Amino acid sequence: MNRTLFVHTLRQNRVRLLIITVAMALWGSLMPIIYAQFGVQFRSMMESGLIPKQFAEFGGGDIFTLPGSIALGFIHPISLILSSVFAVGFTTSAIAGERQRGTLEVLLSRPLPRRVVYATLLVCALLFVAIVMAGFLVGTVVSASINGVASEIDPARIALVWLNGVLLFGAVAAIGLAASVSFDRLSPALGITVAIVIVSYFLEILGSLWPDAERLQPYSLFHYLQPRDVLSGTVAAFNFVLLAIVAAVAIVAALAIFPRRDLAAPS
Amino acid sequence: MDAISTRGLTKQYGHAVRPGLPGRRRAGKALVALDDLAIDVREGEIFGFLGPNGAGKSTTIRLLLGYLHATAGSATVLGFDTERNSVEIRRRVGYLPGGIALYDSLTGERQLDYLGGLSGRPPVRRAELLDRLELSHATLRRPVRDYSRGMRQKIGIIQALQHDPQLAILDEPTEGLDPLMQRAFYEILDDLHAAGRTIFFSSHVLSEVERVCDRVAIIRDGRLVALEEVASLLARRKRLVEMRLGGPAPRLEGVAGVSSVAQTDGRLTCSLEGDVAPFLAAIAGAPITDLTIEPAHLEEAFLEFYADDETLARHRAPAPAEAPAA
Repeated sequence: MNRTLFVHTLRQNRVRLLIITVAMALWGSLMPIIYAQFGVQFRSMMESGLIPKQFAEFGGGDIFTLPGSIALGFIHPISLILSSVFAVGFTTSAIAGERQRGTLEVLLSRPLPRRVVYATLLVCALLFVAIVMAGFLVGTVVSASINGVASEIDPARIALVWLNGVLLFGAVAAIGLAASVSFDRLSPALGITVAIVIVSYFLEILGSLWPDAERLQPYSLFHYLQPRDVLSGTVAAFNFVLLAIVAAVAIVAALAIFPRRDLAAPS
Repeated sequence: MDAISTRGLTKQYGHAVRPGLPGRRRAGKALVALDDLAIDVREGEIFGFLGPNGAGKSTTIRLLLGYLHATAGSATVLGFDTERNSVEIRRRVGYLPGGIALYDSLTGERQLDYLGGLSGRPPVRRAELLDRLELSHATLRRPVRDYSRGMRQKIGIIQALQHDPQLAILDEPTEGLDPLMQRAFYEILDDLHAAGRTIFFSSHVLSEVERVCDRVAIIRDGRLVALEEVASLLARRKRLVEMRLGGPAPRLEGVAGVSSVAQTDGRLTCSLEGDVAPFLAAIAGAPITDLTIEPAHLEEAFLEFYADDETLARHRAPAPAEAPAA
């Protein structure tokens, strides 16, 4: 890893990181509020049969338990969009964007092996994802305390939820960086990564709403983000391992592709 | 040791036609961007690398710096193999890419700090370069996005040279500089030359190559067509002679070095190549009222190399091992 590149990347992204982290914290703080205010009503509506079971378990979350609310907050499109700013936006533009702008020329004219450039940007991406995930959970915990429902979650398990989220969006980030090192222009790298995220998200949501599509869920990365199970104490280590394997495969692919690539003069 | 040495360096994009292979690979077209390049750049010289856009100049530079991988052949820079020791090469080289792109959101100063930090060597020449290229501290504190093209080019030159590299590879370095700054830049090159630094200078501005370079390589369609001293290249060029006569014209047919003699209404023109003594002897005593001998320019030499394939074949550069020592 290169310290100068690391510091430069942090400095270039600090404002964006602050905004996204605060936004995630605010979003995370909404979940305990909704649960504290409407959880009982939703539970009775659910028990009355007014709401179909599948609707109440959107993407593996719900709003009549605190762990379910937190899971719903994680899988909600707002959370997905905010998390993707770094997991997708930063990673895809990190190499392909610099290449398109022409600035990769001056960067790679320095005595930096391409693998070091990649590793530094990967560390930055994982750090950004980790901070954004932490923002969400800090907002959630603070809000749960304010609303008097903090006793319903085990603080030790919050760390595991954070790890689960970091592994999911870390895997997405690794895929984004692998796409980024493979193309000369931003749009194909961004397009491929966004497509993977959207298809993956769609499969998970579809499976949670439509029983016949449940068999498609294992093909979704989001299927392995299970905050409700983690908070309920039913941790499936396989989920963590699988996400780590996906990230590792993407990292190995990028490390194989980037140093061997020809970088022709920017057009 | 040569600063740069290439042997049979070839870069080909796409797949060559391979009759044994099915489908697209067999039918695919290969683009040969650089073909069998063999040059030696001596330590301490300013070496001009000439050719029009698309001739293979940038491809060569990118192969030397490890941006591209050679299809065939090999190259060393400062004794390091370009494929195996690219990082060591870049540690010792300053590179100015053609049409350099900078980080628009950074100030000029931060840009130089950042790139200097990545170089891992102190920017010992920065203050001097800023002074000579007239970049003030006030200018350096402004974001690069507010810079003119010339100011960006100055930053590009400084980032390439601020750490006093052993070898500077400069791709179209005066692009965007006004004539005064061009002159300042040439003086910087003269100083680097005097300090024993090697400069590999790619350009299509012939006058500046003529002004600053010791030797020049001319490349066409990815192939080296000439490699020689600028002075000897110029000495071989034809000069244009024009004389006005107050009486009968001197007999120039058959005089060594004289060709294309034409005479109209007391005005005689011809081309003069090589030694001028036979020509001066032939016109001695002729009733000349005015005489102009236009100096040879590299541009004419360059155009000749691009004139036709016959010329190309005549002046095909010898392999470095056979090249005459300077």
